[in-house]
Amino acid sequence: MSDETTSDSPVGGELDRRELLKRAGVVGAGAVAAGALGGTAKAATKRHRATPIKKGGRLVWGLESDPAHVAPFGGILTANHWAKEFAYDSLVEWDRNLNVRPALAEKFEILSKTAIRWTLKRGIKFHNGKELTSADVKYSVERMLNPPLPGSISTVAQVPAIDRVQVVSKYVFILHLKQSDARIIGFFAWQRYAPIVPEGLYDQINVSRNAIGTGPYRMLGYEPNDRIEYVKNPNFWKKGFPYMNSMQLKILADEQARVAALKAGAIDGATLSVDVARSLANDSNLRVLKGPNAGFRELQMTIKRGEDKPWHKQGVRLAVMHGINRADIIRRVYSGEAEYSGHVPPGYGPWPLSDKELKEKYEKFDLPLAKKLMADAGYANGFKVTMTTFAQQDYPLISAVVQSQLKQLKIDVEIVAQEAGTFAANNGRGTFDWDLTGRGMRGDVDGYVAEFHPAAPVFNIWYPEYRAVKAWRGIGNGRIQLDPAKRIPIYKAAQRELMLNPVQIPLVAIKKYQVVRKRVQNMYVAFSDFNTGLRNVWLNG
Amino acid sequence: MGGYILRRIAFAIPTIFVVSIGIFLMVRLLPGDIIDILFGGDQTASEAVKEQAREQLGLNGSYPEQYWRWISGIFQGDFGFSLRNTEPVSNIVVDALTVTLELVILALLIATVIGVPLGVLSAVKRDSGWDLGARVGGLVGLSIPSFWLATLLLLFTSRAFGWVPPLVYISPFDDPIGNLSQFILPAISISVFTMAIVMRMVRATMLEVLGQDYVRTARAKGVGRRTVISKHALRNALIPVVTIIGFEIGVLIGGAAIIETIFGLPGVGYVLLQAIFGRDYPVIQAMTLLIACTFIFANLLVDLLYGVLDPRISQE
Repeated sequence: MSDETTSDSPVGGELDRRELLKRAGVVGAGAVAAGALGGTAKAATKRHRATPIKKGGRLVWGLESDPAHVAPFGGILTANHWAKEFAYDSLVEWDRNLNVRPALAEKFEILSKTAIRWTLKRGIKFHNGKELTSADVKYSVERMLNPPLPGSISTVAQVPAIDRVQVVSKYVFILHLKQSDARIIGFFAWQRYAPIVPEGLYDQINVSRNAIGTGPYRMLGYEPNDRIEYVKNPNFWKKGFPYMNSMQLKILADEQARVAALKAGAIDGATLSVDVARSLANDSNLRVLKGPNAGFRELQMTIKRGEDKPWHKQGVRLAVMHGINRADIIRRVYSGEAEYSGHVPPGYGPWPLSDKELKEKYEKFDLPLAKKLMADAGYANGFKVTMTTFAQQDYPLISAVVQSQLKQLKIDVEIVAQEAGTFAANNGRGTFDWDLTGRGMRGDVDGYVAEFHPAAPVFNIWYPEYRAVKAWRGIGNGRIQLDPAKRIPIYKAAQRELMLNPVQIPLVAIKKYQVVRKRVQNMYVAFSDFNTGLRNVWLNG
Repeated sequence: MGGYILRRIAFAIPTIFVVSIGIFLMVRLLPGDIIDILFGGDQTASEAVKEQAREQLGLNGSYPEQYWRWISGIFQGDFGFSLRNTEPVSNIVVDALTVTLELVILALLIATVIGVPLGVLSAVKRDSGWDLGARVGGLVGLSIPSFWLATLLLLFTSRAFGWVPPLVYISPFDDPIGNLSQFILPAISISVFTMAIVMRMVRATMLEVLGQDYVRTARAKGVGRRTVISKHALRNALIPVVTIIGFEIGVLIGGAAIIETIFGLPGVGYVLLQAIFGRDYPVIQAMTLLIACTFIFANLLVDLLYGVLDPRISQE
């Protein structure tokens, strides 16, 4: 087995999120501070100094699904960002370890709870030659808040409480918030919903099929269900980047087609499932990369008014928490390539609970304890429940393992596998008892726990009878606390409360596998589920 | 003949109308709509925002209102726009249809060019080694799932020759050879089933026709064996075969989805599948209506061909 873990190793020369915010002077309410955002794109080059970097060449990457469109705002599919991520940048960015780094902004200053002053780097040019100014940011933010078609306004819920942009000068603007909102930096660093585009973009091009941004590659066009073509942006603001001359993202929905294309050298890399990727480990032309991923699986329950289901009792939910053997799931479903996960997945910066805490305390497999909890709750003889899940990927398999494990608590789980659209409809409307589902990447830690707070619209749909006052307090305070040093313990405490009084049972975090041809250098598996590594890839031959 | 054609067309119009209502309703009976999918991963969106999204996509109004908007739009050449990317549906349909039609025509060509002679040979040389081989081959062709064969062909060529069909669509007008190399594997994969059916059907009908009095008469009159087979027997034997091929056009278009997915061809089936997963109603409706119309049109064509193959049918 020669899998390469790609996202675990820290890379020097970068600021972590905490350090960055410290430098930026984020010290909480009413603070006025300033600080330059240092750091450049050293990371990619540093790791490969031994091998001389070759410039030029063309890479073809196999995408597993169609983006539907490449519009900068309101793209709901992950594939939308896969397709457009090389054309656009935002004010700040994440490095491979989710440390925030400056991108289009040179610095920002917290003026008050609801005002942040940003200064743009000078001389950054869009692909059409126009220079980036504050007016472009204003135009972009207005569209983040109200994405035009083909974007969907459903993404607005991901946008922090931005009120408006006040242009101060060509390179300086103030971002006014409706209320204090700590999600703002993560939102821009994630970039998914926050690209900066030139003013008037929607009047200049068909944004469904083309793009104008500041990214390392200029988009030549998107052919639906077929491909996205890119060429190098010679004016890219990170000097020396990108390395390749051009890139094609070819949509190949069928996994075996991606394998065949990889073997034949028709594509240079693609994302594959664990077992398929590992079966290619011995191919001398290929390299298997793996890394932790934001995606984790969980068991979700409803607690509705007027119902009296066994799991409405906290003891039953805790019994399920301890009656599930996660190590067994990891071994049987993921061939050992997964991790214990809390409500915030492992690898998500400093925010998740530690592996030790999960394994030894909150998610400890303890059958006697689980049986006792069931008996104390009056369900020593178990109960029947329907668990819905997706009909594809690993979901049916993990459901079957959970089903067999819960038999030991005499819980008779009936599995109903549904097509994604049907599942989404039932989940969104709360028409389920238990759902075995998944969660993905979020721009800020708040995104992983907001749904447990009564202020979240879905709270009243899923679990209006759920009570977790201490956790609620933490979630509410965490969102308005701008100082990351103070935020971390708040969210850890909230997570611990959620673990002791769970309404969603976190299961495991999966690893993502990508296979590349040997000539592809400097690629890594991004935690965010995007292909960010391709920005700095170079080709050896 | 003119009256016959008009009668068949007149019969096709109400069929299409009924089909359009069926399609419209069935699509909406699917659990969940595009709003559910758009907001699927978002636990913080309010009902008001969802309603706003519904309006933004033109999904407001009762079903009769929505149906009227759709069907009246079609009569004006407007199939609406995709809910996923706001592209005009007519553009999506034309792009996808170009790919699928080529795939289906090539598959039918392969199936017919190989299936018909093989069926004739099998019937003429009944119980010989040829016959046995063709029958076994036919059985295998019927049994092999096309997606399995497609995957196998793809993996085999990549492993054995380090070759896979070109990944990006090549127009036959720009590069006929390149286009053929792109379509040959998918066309073979999808044609095997049809080829087996055609072969078996030709064999069965040929055996029946070869036993008819008029064939014996032709032979008794001293007509050459080749002429008897090609002019007297085969022409009559082809009537049910034409029926089958007519049916297969619709089946192939509908069934091309998996093959198109495997080979990364952006055809009707693949686009339709994506639209179903995304609950993209206008695209699903247009594509399904297109497949239904193709089926109806193919049957119409078959009916007309009956008249050509056997003039007595059109006279009746």
